[in-house]
Amino acid sequence: MSLRVDLVEGSRIALKSLASHRLRTALTTVGIGIGVATLLAILGITQGLDSSFEKQLAGLGSNSLYVQKDPWIVMGDWWRYRGRRNLTWAHYQAVRAQCVRCEAVSASISQRGDVDFLDRALSLVELQGVTPEELSVGAWTVTAGRFITDADDLNRTKVVVIGADVADALFPDGAQPLGASIRVAGRPFTVVGVLGRKGRLLDQSQDLTVLLPFHAMSALFPRRWSLAIGVQVKSSDEVAAAEDELVGLLRRVRQTPPGADDDFTINKPEMLSSTYQQLTGALYGVAVGIGFITLLVGGIGIMNIMLVSVRERTREIGIRRALGATKRTIITQFVLEATLVSAVGGAIGTLVGLGGARLVSLVTPLAATVRPGTVFFGIGFAALVGLVFGIWPAARAANLDPVEALRDE
Amino acid sequence: MLIELKDIRREYTVGGEVVRALDGVSIGIAKGEWVAIIGQSGSGKSTLMNVIGCLDTPTSGSYRLNGKDVARMDDDELAGIRNREIGFIFQNFQLLPRETSLANVELPLVYRGVSARERRARAIDALKKVRLENRMTHKPTELSGGQRQRVAIARALAGEPSLLLADEPTGNLDSATGEEIVRLFEELHQAGHTLVLVTHEPRLAARCPRAIRLSDGQVVGDGPGAEVAWQGVARP
Ligand SMILES: Nc1ncnc2c1ncn2[C@@H]1O[C@H](COP(=O)(O)OP(=O)(O)OP(=O)(O)O)[C@@H](O)[C@H]1O
Ligand SMILES: [Mg+2]
Repeated sequence: MSLRVDLVEGSRIALKSLASHRLRTALTTVGIGIGVATLLAILGITQGLDSSFEKQLAGLGSNSLYVQKDPWIVMGDWWRYRGRRNLTWAHYQAVRAQCVRCEAVSASISQRGDVDFLDRALSLVELQGVTPEELSVGAWTVTAGRFITDADDLNRTKVVVIGADVADALFPDGAQPLGASIRVAGRPFTVVGVLGRKGRLLDQSQDLTVLLPFHAMSALFPRRWSLAIGVQVKSSDEVAAAEDELVGLLRRVRQTPPGADDDFTINKPEMLSSTYQQLTGALYGVAVGIGFITLLVGGIGIMNIMLVSVRERTREIGIRRALGATKRTIITQFVLEATLVSAVGGAIGTLVGLGGARLVSLVTPLAATVRPGTVFFGIGFAALVGLVFGIWPAARAANLDPVEALRDE
Repeated sequence: MLIELKDIRREYTVGGEVVRALDGVSIGIAKGEWVAIIGQSGSGKSTLMNVIGCLDTPTSGSYRLNGKDVARMDDDELAGIRNREIGFIFQNFQLLPRETSLANVELPLVYRGVSARERRARAIDALKKVRLENRMTHKPTELSGGQRQRVAIARALAGEPSLLLADEPTGNLDSATGEEIVRLFEELHQAGHTLVLVTHEPRLAARCPRAIRLSDGQVVGDGPGAEVAWQGVARP
């Protein structure tokens, strides 16, 4: 007999059998459904996190590197970074003058401080003293007014460019920020520009910031600053070469003895990315593991139900075998039954899982997104679980001795 | 010869001991014959019927059905032989409880890959032969014992097999209903079907043109039903 007949007849029998055991079918379906829902909700949240993180990283500026005394992220061996020498204005000028693969080089220093205007005050604003090239190194955009200029820095003019969050907070209801005199750490500064919104990075706003001319900042907070030297590399395939160049250049300028470790760090957005992956990877692993275990439990439920079904229908199997059903026919029938229950469970689980992901994105800051393919994955995966866990019971059914099966009570 | 059995043995090993259910059976049955297989309980009648019906494979011996060497066939081929060549009728009917009479009768044709429309037509024909055309949509639980056995006979007939095999077909029926079924067999015999009927009732075997008596897995009598049926049995 042809496989087509096996499939058609097998589906008919499977549907009939499922329909005649509604409660059992429903319970089995729920088992698989919970597994798929869990897995999908987790995948949804994961995909949401990833895509929002990708967007955040893009805001850091492409091809940008930051030479700093310390790494952005120190995990564990912080003592290695003690006693490093500061990066100075002279180092910045050396990089700016000598780096061949650098498109733009900026210097910046930053610390948190208070900003106020009339009766409105903000604390813990990121105050940054920057040189004009930070515009392109930091991938900033200016939505109104202008950025810091060389003239500002030379003349130490008391001007600021404010971030989007600061503009919103100090100048609500469409008030005009340009030309306004705000106070930064208690000193008056004139707003000459407003920055475009960058969004959040690792859950911190990048827009609660005020940019000052570099030397205005260092005058406002006189101390022995260590600079961040920002570099925008000419093209993305030169990033690695630029890194090497910067290391060589700075070791020479800073007269690091040969063989000694670098006493500065080149920070890159990818470092955040890999740290992010380290931090979240374990979390996802556990979460996805839970999802798979749930599915495994669902699958074992299916196997159990199928074994019961085979037991109950032993005589039916004997009858079918006596009338000419081959082993393959019997296997097909039972595997189809298991696959069908699972696929239905998968479909229900998919709906619940999508709902769950949506709920998570509504009530938490996590943006859960589900790619369309994930839905098919959910149903297909559930069907696969049914197939895998249905094969053994089905094979048992097919291998029953027809004479024995017919004698079954 | 439709059936040629030569020195068929079927042994079971139960707890280290060998049970010889069939102990060297050699018989031939021609097309169109109606043969009763009679013997006491445990004599091997059902075992022989299962071997003839290709449900069971003998431990040794040769079996040719319609000239084909059945003993050498694999499981799929045997399934095909059962489907095309054999129509089974069992003591306890062996109908699928959740299916209608019509669906039950169609089943062998389903496994033969016959189209739905032709299947239906042939199943209806078979049900007419057993005079059950007015019970087509009934399920087995909605039928009397005699009606169920007639559905089973219709199912055996639907595939137009070379051979009808019945194991105690009247065993679960009262005598009046049993008589009805035997009449049906007589009709089928007249219509040219080959019938093998397993029974332990001499009265029934006596009505068959030929009877074969088994005892402890061996053939101890073979001849006209009226003679063999009462061999070694006190005639009432
Ligand atoms: N699966 C089995 N395992 C072990 N022994 C078996 C098996 N099937 C049958 N037998 C033995 O084979 C012998 C013949 O059994 P069989 O069922 O053919 O008898 P029978 O003539 O049909 O009897 P009855 O009239 O009671 O139906 C018996 O002794 C039985 O115990
Ligand atoms: Mg028997």
